Amino acid sequence: MSDAQSESLSPHDDLFVYAEHVYDVVGFADPVAVRNRTVKAFVKRDRWVDALQKAKNDLGLVFFSWLSAIDWTNDVQVGDPPVGHVKERFEVLATVADITEGRRVTFTTDVPKDDARIDSLSKVYGGANWFERGAFEMFGIEFVGHPSLRKLYLPEGFEGNPMLKSFPLLSREIRPWPGSVDVEPMPEASS
Amino acid sequence: MMHLADAAISLELETPEMTLNVGPQHPSTHGVLRLKARIDGERIVEVDPVIGYMHRGYEKLAEVRTYPQIIALLNRIDWVSGYANEIPFVVAAERLMEVEPPPRAQYIRLILTEMARIASHFLFMASYPMELGAASPFFFAFRERERVLDLIESVTGGRFHPNFNRIGGVKPAAGAGATTKTVIQDLPAGFYAETRIAMDKVLAVCDELEDLIVGNEILLARTKGVGVMSAELAASYGVSGPNLRASGVEFDLRRTEDYLPYDDFDFWVPTGENGDCYDRYVMRVHEIRESCKMILAAIDGIPSGPIIAKVPKVIKLPKGEIYMRAESPKGEVGYYLVSEGGTGPYRLVVRTASFSNVSVLPVLLEGVLIPDLIAIFGSFDFVLGDVDR
Repeated sequence: MSDAQSESLSPHDDLFVYAEHVYDVVGFADPVAVRNRTVKAFVKRDRWVDALQKAKNDLGLVFFSWLSAIDWTNDVQVGDPPVGHVKERFEVLATVADITEGRRVTFTTDVPKDDARIDSLSKVYGGANWFERGAFEMFGIEFVGHPSLRKLYLPEGFEGNPMLKSFPLLSREIRPWPGSVDVEPMPEASS
Repeated sequence: MMHLADAAISLELETPEMTLNVGPQHPSTHGVLRLKARIDGERIVEVDPVIGYMHRGYEKLAEVRTYPQIIALLNRIDWVSGYANEIPFVVAAERLMEVEPPPRAQYIRLILTEMARIASHFLFMASYPMELGAASPFFFAFRERERVLDLIESVTGGRFHPNFNRIGGVKPAAGAGATTKTVIQDLPAGFYAETRIAMDKVLAVCDELEDLIVGNEILLARTKGVGVMSAELAASYGVSGPNLRASGVEFDLRRTEDYLPYDDFDFWVPTGENGDCYDRYVMRVHEIRESCKMILAAIDGIPSGPIIAKVPKVIKLPKGEIYMRAESPKGEVGYYLVSEGGTGPYRLVVRTASFSNVSVLPVLLEGVLIPDLIAIFGSFDFVLGDVDR
């Protein structure tokens, strides 16, 4: 756990101990953040399914909570860009939990944008099926081995991946927010 | 290896496969869900739910909104229990900011969350028997649901979309001031008395509703042993809330997550035995009773004091990420909030309960009879806004 950020937690914290347990059991999942009852563990892309399989079988994290992705880029069309320079990549996240004590682990991996593919979890957790279809249409990430990788929400024929930071929000393009009513600048933060 | 005799039988009984289209405009779909069913006679071979008719792109919208604006968005995801949807988001923001809402605000949140749970469960208890042909429970449940919605409205000003939470507490009533200690105008006059009356009525109607269901042969025949879901299947698909507990899992996020002061109350977490449609119905009756008791205990023990902590005028969250989940009436609702230090999130992942609850339907509906189709998917108590986000 060399690069673990113990965000204002003492090493004796229960969650910190659990993070070490996750590291020991999975073997190749590095806890990168420990906070608010969540252990965030980084795994390499090629061991993604391995890690989740171990989490399910050996850690007892049988509950599939959610899977999604983050588009990390400094060149954004919507919202504010990240503060510092970030490496261009997709971050794929999957949160699994147990159904006894309320433990949960968010597994994370990096997927390069020029080779946006990752193995599908749908054989390990049935619930991953729809979440992966969602990430496929929203980010254009291909889930290798998915039983039927097709659009989930969007209509057939829709072009583009709406959750990409390079995809503009059309309503915002037409009418900038805040609307013309709010002419005053936002007040500065004061605490 | 196939015997010749078997081949003959299967040839004789073969029926041509048909496609049955249910929805998107179907009275039992609670919105716009479309099911494409391949059927063989009366049996369903395969079901493919088509969702997205109500996709509003909340995750994208959240990236261009400020944190207080997002609260107003989130209670529109599941409009039946809008208040309960706001809670995990504001708690996530508070934890990132390291702001602790005052105890009184936490109690008000708890009371309103449980009221939202009662209102949401009553809607299900009204509509589900209706889908199976029993009309009477509808009127019983809706009458009492209105009382609960009136109470929510009297505090927040909205029946469905309260937008009552603020980061750091709850909205102060007009003229009350954020940290008023002497004159508390946060809850309307007569709220406690009204609540006690309403809760008594709710508890009474729970017994009536249970009688109407437990004593109804037809309803029992249509729900007992129908749509049985194992705990393993439920967990693997992320089915949560009462639907998971109906399969015999004693797990409630109100016990394991410390997002509201649920530790101050004793409440029973009901579990089912068979995981069938009947169990999923009965879970909600029990949960309404527990919520009523919790509300009554909460208004007796509600602490006084301010209702909102001191927070900056412009909310900016420090750089960081956090996942916060809570037990909404329909199951686990959670928000993964990624902040880059601005006034809005860099990314907000919205995890809704109904989405996962519906994703298990293709597995459960395989091989069932067409009349059971409505019985099974109705029993999951989903709202399409919660599925489509």
